[in-house]
Amino acid sequence: MSEKEQSPAANPDAAFEWAKLWQTMAESSNRMLEAWSGSMAPFMLARLSEKPAGFGDGNELSAAIERMAQGPRLADVWDIDRKMALAFGAWIEMRQRLASYCAVAAAPWTEASKRFLETMSADGTRGAPHPDWREAFAKWSEISNEELIRNQRTDGFLQAQKELLQAGLQLRSRQDDVAEAASAMFGLPTRKDFDDVTRQLTELRREVRALARQVRDQKIEGAQ
Amino acid sequence: MSNQESQASRFARDMAANAEKMFKATQLIANTRDEDVNIGTTPKHLVMRRDKVELFHYEPMAEATARTPVLLAYGLIGRYTMADLQPDRSLVRSLLSKGLDLWLIDWGQPGRTERWLTIDDYVDDYIDAAVDRICQETGHDQVTLLGICEGGVFTICYAALHPEKVKNLVLTITPIDFHADTKGTAAHHGFLNIWTRSLDPEDIDKLVDTYGVIPGEFMSSVFSMMTPMRSLTKYNVDLIDVVDDEAKFMNFLRMEKWLADRPHHPGEAAKQWLKELYQQNRLVEGSFELSGRRVDLRSITAPVLNVFALDDHIIPPDCSRALGAKLGGKDYTEIPLPGGHVGLFVSSKSQGKLSQSIADWLIARDANPVSET
Repeated sequence: MSEKEQSPAANPDAAFEWAKLWQTMAESSNRMLEAWSGSMAPFMLARLSEKPAGFGDGNELSAAIERMAQGPRLADVWDIDRKMALAFGAWIEMRQRLASYCAVAAAPWTEASKRFLETMSADGTRGAPHPDWREAFAKWSEISNEELIRNQRTDGFLQAQKELLQAGLQLRSRQDDVAEAASAMFGLPTRKDFDDVTRQLTELRREVRALARQVRDQKIEGAQ
Repeated sequence: MSNQESQASRFARDMAANAEKMFKATQLIANTRDEDVNIGTTPKHLVMRRDKVELFHYEPMAEATARTPVLLAYGLIGRYTMADLQPDRSLVRSLLSKGLDLWLIDWGQPGRTERWLTIDDYVDDYIDAAVDRICQETGHDQVTLLGICEGGVFTICYAALHPEKVKNLVLTITPIDFHADTKGTAAHHGFLNIWTRSLDPEDIDKLVDTYGVIPGEFMSSVFSMMTPMRSLTKYNVDLIDVVDDEAKFMNFLRMEKWLADRPHHPGEAAKQWLKELYQQNRLVEGSFELSGRRVDLRSITAPVLNVFALDDHIIPPDCSRALGAKLGGKDYTEIPLPGGHVGLFVSSKSQGKLSQSIADWLIARDANPVSET
């Protein structure tokens, strides 16, 4: 078969088939794009209706969003969707860490209540006069303070707090990514740009001041 | 039965009285304007500005008793106004009234613009420039440094790197051995040390990289955690206690104003502070470097006064005490005082002792010849 014969232009049927194929590919691509950007809401709403408690146990959900958002990056798919999905995943993760932290941080109140009741009962058994609210509160405050401070030094508390901090920072960092993308879209300088400028300014100032000191020292040496 | 009745009626009476006091507190707060709550009011004038950092000279209040000018340096966590909270509880005013020539370096309000500043910049640039300016203004070739908390670390680093410019070094509530909290016995001491060590170095990097600074609000929340019940009760029970006494109520508001004025900590300096000092304990181990030079505490030959608070829950006493064994000079004095980290400066009892100890120690080493005659 000659080259001329292979060309779709030479064959109207082939050209029509080629155009049809192109249209189908374009439509598929649009459908994929719609599926990508529209998939979050129904997915999350379904999960929320399954779990009336909301996002309390959302590790699974955040992991799923993370997997989806971390998928292959497509050149012509608007990247801000991915960034927003990642920020949302980080938010769910942070809520989860916050719930864990609250559980650990609340634990000492039970022990404090127990100790307080024991102390008050022991005073009552001894026939001590019933304390006024101020005395009772001072005792409650002292016991609670001891228990809270003891709890703060446990590995469980420190770990929960660290994980909450890490999750909070991850969320903030991903929110920043969204903000950076939005700023870039409107041609505005971003925080990264600002950091670059202040870094250059700080370094420049150091150099100028080092030179000024050098000149001053040389003058002093010269005078001596 | 009658006992139960009396208990119930007493409870009802107390609650009614407390409700009335809370109402009064709400009215008092609503009727007090922020400009009515003044802190840091001792008269001073601006001598030099370098970026956001300002050098002030306090107006003298008495005949000079010590010869060398004293430069006061607070840390970057909180502001110098703690040393000048109110006229009758002011370390600044008290030292001036004892005849010291007092200067102040104020770091201002660092923000994201100061993200890249390091402790090297604070010590070798800002403090050095302030010392040079004081020398130029007064004709001295040395100054006395008075450091508070993190400012104490800055001044001790300066004294080690520029010993020829330091006449005397006074440190207050200054951490030197950041791991000495493990020796302490008090359960409520040293949470900051434990908490910082519980973090990974990458967490600190991420915190700084995300915010550009350590946000002041973040540091405030860490400090609040260290006194949990105090933090929970200060706006209710504590307020009830002071509402009938206007002076106490205003003291309460002044302290709140100081607490609220917590600047952000410049990012790169915070990385050094938390990782190299709190986590790696480099200062006491002799491996802390600034501007490419090792900070060797044995290089400090000036007389050193080290004052710390025995019930300091933020800088446990053992963290400060460690300095004595590390210095090069022989003239070293340690003064442990009762009180806590802030109480040392603002409680009427400790504050008088603090200023008297500093003034006596300085005058003994650096008396003004005119006042002696």
